[in-house]
Amino acid sequence: MKLLQGIVMVVFVVLTACTVEKTDYEAELSTDTTEYIEFEEVTTTNSGDYTISIEALNGTLYKGYNEIHLKISNSETLTNLEDVAVTFLPIQTDANGNKSSCPHQYNLEYDATEGYYLGYVVFTSESDSTVSWQAYIDFQESSQTYAINQPFTVEEQTNMNLNMTAFTGNDQEQYIIALVAPQSPGVSENDLVAGIYKYNTPESEAGTFPDLTQYSYSIVQNHTLVLDPRMPEPSMGNHSSPNNEDLTQDTDSLYHGVVNYTMTGNWTLNFIFQDADGNTIKGTEVSTEFTPGIEGERSELYIDILF
Amino acid sequence: MRQLTLILLLLGGFVQAQNTPIVRDSSDVLLDEVLVIAAKKTKIETDMKMAVSVDEFLASSDNISFIKRGAYAWEPLLNNMSTERSLVTIDGMHVFGACTDKMDPVTSYVESNNLSEIDIKSGQQGSLHGATVAGSIDLKRKSTAFGTKNTWDGAYQAGYEFNNNQFFNLGNVSYSSEKLVADGSISFRKAKNYTDGNNDEVDHSQFTKFNTSLGLAYKTSDLSSVRVDAIFDRANDVGYPALPMDLSLSRALITSVAYKQFFEDKLIKVWDTKLYFNAIEHYMDDTTRPENLVHMDMPGWSTTYGLVSKINLNSENYASEIQLNAYDNLSIAEMRMYPQDYSETTMFAYSWPWVTTRYAGLSMTNSWDISAHSQLLFGGTLGVNYNYSKYVEFNRIFHPGASQEKTRFLPNLYTTYQLNTGGFDFSAGGGYGHRAPSVSEGYGYYIYNSFDRYDYIGDPDLENEVSYEANASAGFTHAKGNIQAKVNYFYIQNYIIGRILSSGSPMNYQSVGVKGYTSLDHATLFNFSVSADYSILQNLHWKGTLTYARGLDENKNNLPFIRPLSYQTSLHFSYQKFGILTALNGDLKQIDYSPEYGEDETPSYTNWNVSADYTFFIKNKKTVLQVGAENVFNTYYSTYADWGNIPRMGRNIFTSLKINL
Repeated sequence: MKLLQGIVMVVFVVLTACTVEKTDYEAELSTDTTEYIEFEEVTTTNSGDYTISIEALNGTLYKGYNEIHLKISNSETLTNLEDVAVTFLPIQTDANGNKSSCPHQYNLEYDATEGYYLGYVVFTSESDSTVSWQAYIDFQESSQTYAINQPFTVEEQTNMNLNMTAFTGNDQEQYIIALVAPQSPGVSENDLVAGIYKYNTPESEAGTFPDLTQYSYSIVQNHTLVLDPRMPEPSMGNHSSPNNEDLTQDTDSLYHGVVNYTMTGNWTLNFIFQDADGNTIKGTEVSTEFTPGIEGERSELYIDILF
Repeated sequence: MRQLTLILLLLGGFVQAQNTPIVRDSSDVLLDEVLVIAAKKTKIETDMKMAVSVDEFLASSDNISFIKRGAYAWEPLLNNMSTERSLVTIDGMHVFGACTDKMDPVTSYVESNNLSEIDIKSGQQGSLHGATVAGSIDLKRKSTAFGTKNTWDGAYQAGYEFNNNQFFNLGNVSYSSEKLVADGSISFRKAKNYTDGNNDEVDHSQFTKFNTSLGLAYKTSDLSSVRVDAIFDRANDVGYPALPMDLSLSRALITSVAYKQFFEDKLIKVWDTKLYFNAIEHYMDDTTRPENLVHMDMPGWSTTYGLVSKINLNSENYASEIQLNAYDNLSIAEMRMYPQDYSETTMFAYSWPWVTTRYAGLSMTNSWDISAHSQLLFGGTLGVNYNYSKYVEFNRIFHPGASQEKTRFLPNLYTTYQLNTGGFDFSAGGGYGHRAPSVSEGYGYYIYNSFDRYDYIGDPDLENEVSYEANASAGFTHAKGNIQAKVNYFYIQNYIIGRILSSGSPMNYQSVGVKGYTSLDHATLFNFSVSADYSILQNLHWKGTLTYARGLDENKNNLPFIRPLSYQTSLHFSYQKFGILTALNGDLKQIDYSPEYGEDETPSYTNWNVSADYTFFIKNKKTVLQVGAENVFNTYYSTYADWGNIPRMGRNIFTSLKINL
């Protein structure tokens, strides 16, 4: 009797332990993506009595879309400089000394509740031994103009969900599309957010540096980004998902749509970029055929993601 | 309103029960009676074969047919309805398979030598254990009665089947004393690939199964006892020739502890309460199929906790059982696909996104002897079914805004009137019942169905399936034989079935598209069977069965997996210690097939089987030796319900030896 009870107990304990562990889904989702929520200081500099600090998510500026917060404080009075006109111009210098910029918000907005100046910048390349980045920040206080020239580093974006693409449209204009959200997508319906920018081609020769007309970008207004997400992996046979929504511009100037990811892994966001009249600026329709064993064909305008 | 009516009816039944006169029995008589019922032994063997698998045994019932995906773990269809519509329980315990592809019906986790009988109830009469449409199959475990003296009992069976080199050993032993009872069983089966009627080997049709069970009961007082039961089942290296993958391992642990209290001199005779737990793990394996383009891991787990508490009432002309059923099940199934370049990231999704099902139901079944010739059976269940999908975002991809939690009320009602007079018996009855969608129908996500080659998507907000049922039977019994005809008809509202979703794109490379579970407005099912037996001579018996079924959807198109006209006839002759049986069975051509659901026309077939047995004694131990052959003519055939038209087994010579210890 004792023995039998013992056997039952042992059998119970041994057998309730599974041989294959269940997947930790939350961990699975964060293997290839990290979600940053906290803004931290990237770099700081002084000009006169003022300390200027640039903050970004994770304290790092990455290639692609970055929201930036500028804090300007008076080191004498220890007070923040409130609601003045602040401008921000990122300048990239390449090995030959050529200077260029990238989409950015030139006139930063003051956020009174948070006490910082808010803007964005979409870096088109990373810093390396030949490419360097500098921020030209100007502001005025008591009719005195402060001009700061601060170098900083742009890191590689390892989260492919924040990838970007730069291209020349059929209208010969230069465009940049950068993914803003989601940072860490799930096997679900995801709100897809992207910023779309255009380089304003200068009409005259460059004047004295920095000549703003040479470095001007604007937000593309009222266009549409037609979306067709697919898995490029050959064995997935051009698999897609249902109920996706094209990206259209919202009041925050960003483009919002819906993407459904049916499983984790590599996905391609195939786009067709259309103007307000429905004319295609860039992008081709992709096949909807199920083709097992063949890598999915991409639109001429696409962004690859992975999660 | 319907629920209210049901409650009133149930209460009505109860009041009725209260009013019936109480018959005073002596407790001894009563206990004996109950124990004798508990000890009732129906052997799990067919006329044809004494060492059968549970599937083979079930197949001998005229309202059960099977979907077969290989030689192992057949999916039982009750009244031509799939397992979502029927309830399969083990001693009233709910167990749910852990495979999204139905590789593991509950019946695959037991073995014939740990069962005493299988109780099949058609339609709403089966709603005692929970909500159902098709009926219930309750697999009853062996449980030896308490005895007055210490006795040991046991049996050992061994056998060999030549077609697939199946070797099996089944042993069971029981001990009975005044205070303590123990039942134990152990079994092992190992089979290689079988060959079809063309003598071609059917690849991936092997299996290995180990099963053991233990039950201990202790008499805590003259009128009460405690019983602990456990079944452990392990199947590995099981091939499914009809599927694109096999099974590397499935394990089930099915446990329960029960307390039984008898009452003296009361209307209430027994109160039996059981707590149970079962855990099933199921790991599919496609490494055996190098031809597959994609390597996938598809593990599944199903864990259930539950309670069954029942009271038996009995008086002179009235008997009733009131049962409370509650369980909590968590079903999880994962799929992880490996890219062709293994250095790339794997692709992961849940095919069952951690789906919890909770059910609680109060049911009652009553039988009232109106007169010596007539009886009224009636009963009902009121159940509450709750579902919760932890990762509901998977379900929302196809059904944006789908509810994460869903509560459903599931009423079930039935009544049958039976009349028995002068050798004739008649019955007529009706039923009404709801069922909730199964985990796959509600929450399944890209479950690949290799029959119609579609990926299936569940819908959490499907309506309850509602069944209206009518049944009747007529029979005549004579000293030399009897004949019985049964008919039933189901009108099922919101019949759940897969329909093509044009928005979907296949995920599995073999797939041709995506189907979503949707509700048809209605479907109808008609089942008819006639069976007869006749004693031609004292030792020569004939038996025959004919069944016919028809299932139609709302547009009068055929439903899939409906058995064509089928027949079974057998002749048994015994002479002294010899017995010989010959049987013929087959289906006619399946004319009413359903191309819409992936079926094609299946030709007719006939199978001839023979077996002979000899009974002798080894040192006073009764021993039976049996030799037989199935599909004697080595016919090449596959039936309407063979997944992907895989051929059935060709000629199979089987031998077995059974020693009663």
